Amino acid sequence: MIARTAAAGRPVAVTPLSHSAGAQRFPALLAGIGALVVALSALHIGLGTVRIAPGDVAAALLERAADPVHRQIVWELRLPRTLIALVAGAMLGLAGALLQTITRNPLASPALTGVSAGGVLAVVAWLSFAPVGLAMGWVLQLMALAGGLVAITLVYAVSWQGGSDPTRLALSGILVGAICSAITLLILVLDTQRLGSVLRWIIGSVNGRVWVHWTILWPWALVALPLGLLSAGAANALGLGDATATGLGQHPERARATLLFVAALLTAGAVAVVGAIGFIGLIGPHLARRLVGDDARRAFPLSAVVAAAILVAADVVAQALTLEFPFGDATRRAGLPVGALTALLGAPFFLYLMLREER
Amino acid sequence: MSGKSWDGAKPAALQAAGVRVGYGEHAVLDGLEFDITPGTVTAVIGPNGSGKSTLLKTLTRLLRPATGAVFLNGAAITSLPTAAVARQLAVLPQGPTAPGGLTVGELVEQGRYPHAGPLRMLRMQDHEAIRTALGLTDMTAYAARPLDGLSGGERQRAWIALALAQDTPMLLLDEPTTFLDIGHQLEVLDLIRRLNRERGLTIVLVLHDLNQAARYAERLVALDRGRIVADGAPRDVLTTVLLAEVFGVRAHILADPESGSPLCLPYAFVGRD
Repeated sequence: MIARTAAAGRPVAVTPLSHSAGAQRFPALLAGIGALVVALSALHIGLGTVRIAPGDVAAALLERAADPVHRQIVWELRLPRTLIALVAGAMLGLAGALLQTITRNPLASPALTGVSAGGVLAVVAWLSFAPVGLAMGWVLQLMALAGGLVAITLVYAVSWQGGSDPTRLALSGILVGAICSAITLLILVLDTQRLGSVLRWIIGSVNGRVWVHWTILWPWALVALPLGLLSAGAANALGLGDATATGLGQHPERARATLLFVAALLTAGAVAVVGAIGFIGLIGPHLARRLVGDDARRAFPLSAVVAAAILVAADVVAQALTLEFPFGDATRRAGLPVGALTALLGAPFFLYLMLREER
Repeated sequence: MSGKSWDGAKPAALQAAGVRVGYGEHAVLDGLEFDITPGTVTAVIGPNGSGKSTLLKTLTRLLRPATGAVFLNGAAITSLPTAAVARQLAVLPQGPTAPGGLTVGELVEQGRYPHAGPLRMLRMQDHEAIRTALGLTDMTAYAARPLDGLSGGERQRAWIALALAQDTPMLLLDEPTTFLDIGHQLEVLDLIRRLNRERGLTIVLVLHDLNQAARYAERLVALDRGRIVADGAPRDVLTTVLLAEVFGVRAHILADPESGSPLCLPYAFVGRD
């Protein structure tokens, strides 16, 4: 194409920019992983105490179930569980991508900001100290949200020294998280009876998540997910360092606080419903960056989709490994909590990342 | 060599008035009076710790002076919206870093940040500015390459392209030749001169190499301990007296056989008072 430069006043032939490999791959990857998510979801809906074949799942979803029990199980129990796993996974993935940009550290994740631990602490404290009548589901979720947001405020306040700094933010996140976890354990030691009901929050699980929980999750996700995706442009500028970002006309301090708040919203919303599922927010963004590069406009949406796929895939495996598990007030047969599985797989992956970074 | 500006924008003038930067008793810059004529190339020189980088950061609002002010086209720079400043002056900080997986094209695209529309989508004029910036720095062929696969010289050109994509009448660079070999140093300096001569850009740069500063800039500003000790044409600034007093070296001053600009040949360190 021909563009005319005003200063030189002569036509200059301009070849179109060639797209990076990441940019070329992006649409196909997004579609491919999207399809994978659909397939995994069908599998996921079928798994549980009663197993339903993917074909019957599809039939039940299309209101053509041969067996009315299948229809009931799929619609009442399994569909909300799958939707919650997908959305919570996406929220954790996007939160991780945001945090890795803010801290300029590929090892940052929602678990390292204190938000997860703060949410869990609030739930545990509420279960132990609040009047029994007030320990219903939605109150607990609100507690988790409040705890997460208080934790991130603390992290920000602790790291503030006339300005914020990516490294200090990461360190104070670990610090606040450790303190919250320690207090949580202390409460549990003093009040062992609550262990069963508290375990789900600490490990993180989508078991028994139904429409009540979905009604808490979706409005939160509807606000936080678009906010996170729309902040990709600001995140790109911030990723170039404060001096360059200022030179480009950004307020890096303001941008960092805003992005941190959005990441906290995403994390707190997910933790409030599924508990502190670890490593999803670390692995999802990392894989996404490997696939499409560091430009946040592609890495952010892909992080959300990849993390959603990983969480559902992990829960498919967890549900397949059905165990006798002490949940709530009674022992019952249930799938392994997915948080246990992600921690088990995530820790070696984390180690691999650290070794790679050292190289 | 002066007057006309890029894309017909009004020439920008930068002025420091009574600028003091520092904490408490210790001032990095003190009582600085300084202004930049549109369409010129100014090099800031001085020994380590003399306040060169601080001066550049203050001129580009990366640092806020304790007293005094920097004026951009007559308005206090810290009172202007930062995006409006970014449309007037671009800055290349010292040793900038970016995520290694970012490609050159994606980096240079960020230069459109201060011009972006509501949804940060690139428009026609943005694409043109990006292509022009890549073309000027000879980086068009590298657009799809990730930054961590580039050599030092290529990476520096990519960062200069980012600043050029901002499409500003002023460009300020902090030691743009550091860590480059001599060939890449001259490549960057030639590019800077070309931007000034062909596009009328007003350029301020911090340089370590005195001979390069004398050769590529029409005005040298020498800083020592936060104060301007000499300011003027290279032949008036680069004197044996200045080299002894500011840098603590004895030197011969010759005329560059290529350009006629002064060329200093230090031969002994004598120390400073």
